[in-house]
Amino acid sequence: MKVLICIGHVPDTTSKIRFTDNASKFDKSDIQFIIGPYEELALTRLLDIKDAGTDLHITAVNVGPVETEATLRKALAMGADEAVRVNAEPLDALFTAKQIAEVYKKGTYDFIVTGKESIDYNGGQVDGMIAEILGIPSIPSASKFEIMGSVAKAEREIDGGKEVVEAAFPFVIAAQKGFAIDPRIPGMRGIMAARKKEILVFEPSEQANITKIIHHYLPEAKSACKKVAADNVEELVRLLHEEAKVI
Amino acid sequence: MSVLIYIDNKDGLLKKSAFELASYGFEIAKNTNVDTLAVTFGEIADEQVKLLGKYGVKKVIKIINPQLLGFSAQAYSSVISEVALKESAKIVLFGNNFDGRAFSPRVAVKLNAGLAPAVVKLPSSYTPFIVKKRAFSGKAFADIELSSEIKVLTLNQNSFHIVENPVDTTVETFAGTVPAGAYAVKPIEVTINSEKLSVTDAEILVSGGRGLKGPENWGMLEELAGILGAATCCSRPVSDLGWRPHYEHVGQTGKVVAPNLYIALGISGAIQHLAGVNGSKVMVAVNTDVEAPIFEAADYGIVGDVFDVVPKLNQALKKFKESN
Amino acid sequence: MIYFSEHELQFLFLQRYTESLYSHFKHHIIFNAMVSHLFFIASTLIAFGLLTYSFLRIFKIIKLLRKPYSISNFGERVKRLFTIAIAQEKILRFPLIGLMHALVFWGFLMITFGSGEMVLDGIIGTPFDNNPLNDRLFKFFGTVYNVLIAGGDIFAYTIVILVGAFLVRRIFMHIKRFTGVELRHRDHKDAAIALSLILLLMVSLAGMNIAYNAGNENVFGVYPISSQLTGIFEGMQTHTVHTLELVFWWTHILLIFFFANYLPYSKHFHVFMSLPNVYLSRTEPLSKMTNMESVTGEVKLMLDPSLPEPQSKGDEPERFGMKDVEDGTWKYYLDSLTCTQCGRCTSVCPANQTGKKLSPRKVVLDYRRRMEEKMSGLLKEGKKFDDKKSLLGDYTTAEELWACTTCNACAQECPVSIDQPSMILEMRRYIFMEQSAAPSLLNSMCTNIENNGAPWQYSAADRGKWADNLTLNDEAKTPVKVPLMSQIAAAGKNIDILFWVGSASSYDDRAKKISRDFAKILHHAKINFAILGSEESDSGDNAKRAGNEFLFQMQALTNIEVLNSYGIKKIVTCDPHDFNTLKNEYPELGGIYELIHHTQYIDELINLDLIKVTNSTFSGKTITYHDPCYLGRGNGEYNAPRNILKSTSCTLTEMHRNKSRALCCGAGGTQMFKESEPGTKEVYELRTEDALEVQPNIIATACPLCMTMLTDGIKMKELTGEVQILDIAEITVKALGI
Repeated sequence: MKVLICIGHVPDTTSKIRFTDNASKFDKSDIQFIIGPYEELALTRLLDIKDAGTDLHITAVNVGPVETEATLRKALAMGADEAVRVNAEPLDALFTAKQIAEVYKKGTYDFIVTGKESIDYNGGQVDGMIAEILGIPSIPSASKFEIMGSVAKAEREIDGGKEVVEAAFPFVIAAQKGFAIDPRIPGMRGIMAARKKEILVFEPSEQANITKIIHHYLPEAKSACKKVAADNVEELVRLLHEEAKVI
Repeated sequence: MSVLIYIDNKDGLLKKSAFELASYGFEIAKNTNVDTLAVTFGEIADEQVKLLGKYGVKKVIKIINPQLLGFSAQAYSSVISEVALKESAKIVLFGNNFDGRAFSPRVAVKLNAGLAPAVVKLPSSYTPFIVKKRAFSGKAFADIELSSEIKVLTLNQNSFHIVENPVDTTVETFAGTVPAGAYAVKPIEVTINSEKLSVTDAEILVSGGRGLKGPENWGMLEELAGILGAATCCSRPVSDLGWRPHYEHVGQTGKVVAPNLYIALGISGAIQHLAGVNGSKVMVAVNTDVEAPIFEAADYGIVGDVFDVVPKLNQALKKFKESN
Repeated sequence: MIYFSEHELQFLFLQRYTESLYSHFKHHIIFNAMVSHLFFIASTLIAFGLLTYSFLRIFKIIKLLRKPYSISNFGERVKRLFTIAIAQEKILRFPLIGLMHALVFWGFLMITFGSGEMVLDGIIGTPFDNNPLNDRLFKFFGTVYNVLIAGGDIFAYTIVILVGAFLVRRIFMHIKRFTGVELRHRDHKDAAIALSLILLLMVSLAGMNIAYNAGNENVFGVYPISSQLTGIFEGMQTHTVHTLELVFWWTHILLIFFFANYLPYSKHFHVFMSLPNVYLSRTEPLSKMTNMESVTGEVKLMLDPSLPEPQSKGDEPERFGMKDVEDGTWKYYLDSLTCTQCGRCTSVCPANQTGKKLSPRKVVLDYRRRMEEKMSGLLKEGKKFDDKKSLLGDYTTAEELWACTTCNACAQECPVSIDQPSMILEMRRYIFMEQSAAPSLLNSMCTNIENNGAPWQYSAADRGKWADNLTLNDEAKTPVKVPLMSQIAAAGKNIDILFWVGSASSYDDRAKKISRDFAKILHHAKINFAILGSEESDSGDNAKRAGNEFLFQMQALTNIEVLNSYGIKKIVTCDPHDFNTLKNEYPELGGIYELIHHTQYIDELINLDLIKVTNSTFSGKTITYHDPCYLGRGNGEYNAPRNILKSTSCTLTEMHRNKSRALCCGAGGTQMFKESEPGTKEVYELRTEDALEVQPNIIATACPLCMTMLTDGIKMKELTGEVQILDIAEITVKALGI
C-alpha cells in the first residue's frame, strides 16, 4: 500500500513572530522550522501501522523552496521511505493542493494524509481541496486511524463528540491531536538512513494564485497580569467574556 | 447575487454561533447590496427559521435528500456549491468549526473561489476584497486578499457581535445531487461526549494546587468546572500527595496542555508547572502570595484566598451563564 | 583405671592417629620424597593450568569488547591503586566493618608472600626431603623476611577471628545491604563458601606454623603467635609433629589451589580483580559521560549537509549504546567480575532508597550473569552469536534504568571503582537511539531542545530576558547592565569572563532570580562580563543523560561554534550541570574552556577582596548546605560554597549525609523532565527530610535544579515561608546588601 503524506514546514511553536517588507512577509530569520505538529503525529501513526506489520510505503511530500528539504529530511529520519519536494513557494492553499494532487496522480498512491492545519496560516484547507480536486472522499479532523485490510477505520472529531467512519480507498485524511499519542523521535539508524535517501524534486504545475496575504498584524503585546480585586469577581467574569472572549 | 451562509443545525435546532454568522453575513450583504441567504441540511422548525430572520436572513434553503446518509464532506459540499451557483452567491460563509472547516475548501475548489479561513473581522475593503484572518495560532493576524469572483469565508467563533436585523424569511426546499462515491467514507457510529472531559481535550481547565490544602476541598473546583464545562486538573505536588489522580497532573512532567482558558487556583507556578501550561491562551490565577511566579504568566489575577474567591466566582459565573 | 580429660582424650586420639598414619605412610611419604614432589608439581600444574584456562577465557572476552578509554595517566592510576585499593580508602568510609575488611586485605597481602614461598619451595622439593630444618627459599631476605612472616603469622589469627565474625554477621545478623532481589540463594551460599575457605586456609596456615615451631629447634622467620602455641603439640614425638606439619602444609597449599580456581566463578573474585580494576578505572571526574565519536560525523553532516560523506571505516558501531553484554566495554566486564556484592552502591542510591526498582548492584550483577550465560557462545561465534535474549530487557529493565538520577553516589561509594552509571547510561543510549523508546516526556524534552533550544517550550529569543530591567537594591535603583557578547564583540572589546546562564537559569522564574543576583555580584565586583543571550542554547546535558547523544552533540557543536567565534576562554555558570558538561564533555568536541562554578568564583572574589561580605544579615541564622551532585561528587567542589557561607557569620550545620555522601535532590539524569518511576517516596522528599533534621532557617544550595526540587520538598512539608531555600549567589547578595 502506498501513502502520500503532506509535510508542513512551519516555524517552531515558540518562535517569536516578526514580519518584514512592510509587514507583508513573515520574517524567517532566526526561525527554527519544524515539521508541522499534526503532520508529525500523522507520520508517527503511519509508521506505527507499518511497524505493526502492514505493508506501507510512505512518501513525504512538501511544496516549498529548497530550504524545506531539512524538514523533509527529518520526515525521512523518522522513517518515511521517500520524499518529494515540489519546487515552489506555497503562497496559496489552492495552488498547494493542486501540486499535491499532481504528485498523487503521478504515483499509484492509495491514500493521502495531511495535518489538520498548518500552524502558520492556520488554513486547514489543503486536505479538503486536494480531495475535491481529485474527486475523492475526505476525513477531516481525524483523531484515530487504522487500516483493516481493504478498508480504513477512522475517528473524527465532531461538535461535542466523535464519529467513527469506515473508508474505502482512496481518500484524504487530516490528522489532529490523538492521531498518534506522541510524535516519534528519529533514532540514529533513521538519521543515518535519511542521509542516503533521495529527495525527488518536481517542478510545479500551472495554477494561478487567487489569494494573497498582503499584510500582517501582531496582537497587542501581552500586558502584565491584570489584577482584579478579590471582592470583585464579577469584573473577572466580564473581562473573560468581553476582553479575553474565552467564556 | 447573494451572501450564502451555511448554517449548522443539531436535530433541527440552531446554535448561538448561527446568529453570529447571520449577523456577519448580513453586514456584508448590506455593504454589497445583496441578499442574505442560508443553507442548512435536514428539517428545521419554523420558529428556528424565524430566528434567522431576526438576524437578516431572507431565505432559508433546507436540503432534503434521502441520498444524504449522514455526514459526508464530499456530498454536503457538492450540494452547498449547487445552491451557491443557483443563488449566484458571491460570498459563501461558514463558521470556522468542524463543519465549516470540512466543507469550505471543497466548496472553494468547486466554485473556483478564493478561501479566507478563520476571518475575525468584516472585510476592510470589497474591491479589492481584503479581510483580516487569524494566523500563527493566535500569535498574529493577516490581511488576505481574494481575487476570485466568488469568495469563501469561515468566520472565527466569537469574532462578531450578534446584531438584530429583522426581515421576513421564506423557506425553500432543495434536493441537490449527491455525487457518486461520496459515501465511500461512511459514518458508522457517533458517540457524544458524555463522560467527564479529559484534561487534554478540554477547552477550559480548572486546576488546583497545594493551596487547596486537601482533597476534601475539591468540591468547589468541580462546581466551577461544571459551570464552565471545564475539566479539573492539578499540579504535581497535589498528585504526588495522592489528593488527585495522577492523570489529572498537568505540567512539564504530567500532561502538557493548551486550553483556551486555564484557571490556576492555589498554584504558585514552578517551572515544571508553567512549562506545561504556558500554551494556554488565557490564564487566570488566584493565589494568596502576590510574589508567586504564576502571576508572571497569568493574564488575569486575583490576589486572595481561594476559599474566599472560588465560591464567589462560582456565583458570578452561574449568574453570567444564566443571562447568556 | 586411668581417667582422661576430654582434651587429653582428643589429644591421645590425634597422636595415635597420626602415628598410625605415620607408620602406615612412612614408606610412601617420608621416604618417597620424589613421589610427593611429583605429586606437588602435578597439582601445581593442574591448578595453574585451570587458572590459566579461566583467565584466558576472560581475556578472550576482554579482547572481544570495546576499549573504554586509553589507559594513560599512569601517575593518577598508581595513586588510585595505593589510596583506593591498597589503603582501602573507600572501604574505610564505613569505619568499623571497613577496618575489619582492611585488616583481612592487608593480612592477605602479607600471607601471599609466604604462600608464594611455599609454592616455590614445593617446586624445588624442600618440604619433602625429610630435612627437619625444612629449608625456606626466601630466608635470605633476613629481617624483611622475618617481618613478613611475623606479619603473616599474626594476620592468620586475626583473619580467623575477623572472617569468623563476617560469617556470623552474614548468616545470623540481618544486614540490609546483603538483601535485595538481585541476591539469590546461590549468592549467599557462594559468600559462605568463600568465607569458609578463607577460614580453613587460615586455620591450616596457623596449624602449619605451630607444628613448624613445635617440631623444629631452629625455625626460619618469626612467629609471634604460633611460637606461643606450641604447647598443644607437647608430648608428641617429633616425627609426629613433622607429619602434622606436612599434613597442614598439604591442606593449606591444596586449599590455595582450590580457592584460586574457585574464585573466577565466585563473587569473591575481587580477591584477584580489585587491584587491576582500580588501576584501570576511569580517572575523569565522575559526572563526565563518555563521548560517542561514532555519532559526531552524523551530527556534523546534519549541521552542514555540504560536508563530504564520512568515510565508512567499517568501525561503525553495530549498535549505538548497549543492548547486550558484547556492546559494553571491557571495563564493564571487569567491573562485573570485580563486584563482590557488598551493596554499598545500592545502599546509597537515591532511587533505591525511595523504593524504585533500580539497584546499581543489580545492574553490575546482571552484566556478569548475562555474560556467564552468553560467554561460551561469544567465544565460539564472536559478536554475531545470538541466543534471542539480551541484557537489556531480559536482565536489566528500562524501568530500572530510567530511575537513575546520575548522581554518582554508587560510583563514589564503590570500594573497587566500579562505574555503574556508565553502564546505565550506555543502555539508555540504546533505548533512545536505537529503539526510540524513551519515556515520552523525554522525547518531548528533546524535541523542545531541538526546536527552541531549551527543555521547555520557551522561545529561544527570550533566553536573555531574565536580565531585563535589572537594578541593584539601593535607593537609586542603580541599573545593572548585563551586556551581550555580540554587542561587546561588535564594539571590538573584550571580556574577563563569560557568564553562561544555562536553560534552567534562563527560563525558570525562580532560578532567574539566581541569575539576576549573580549578575549583580559581577557588576558589584566590577567584573567585565557578558552573556550570549539568544545565541546561547541548551548545553545538551539532559539530552545526553537521556541517551540522546545525537542531540547532545548537535547542541554542543552549535554552542562551541558560538563560543569559539568569540574566542571565549573563561566561563562562569550557576548551573552545575552545565558546568560539568562544558568543562568535561565539550573539550572532546573542540570546546576547551576554563570553567568556573559561580560558588568558586564568588569565593575567589571574596578572597581577592573584590567583594566584602560585611553585614550581619545571617548572623544567628542556621544554614545547611545541600551539595549538588554535579558540583560535589561529580567535580569535587565541596569547599567553595561552604567558605562563602562561613564568611557570612551564619551558623553552618551539616546534614548527616553531606559532601561526597550527600543525597541527590532527585532532579538530575533527566528526572526533572519525566515522571518518577513507581516507588515509595520522592527523592526530593527524602532529601528535604535530611535538611529538616538539622532544623535550619535556610537551606542553601548552588544549583537551579536542586532549588526546584527542594522548594517542592518544603512545599510538601508545608514549611514554605518557615524554611527558606536560597542559592549561594542570593545569600551573597543579601550579605553584601546590594
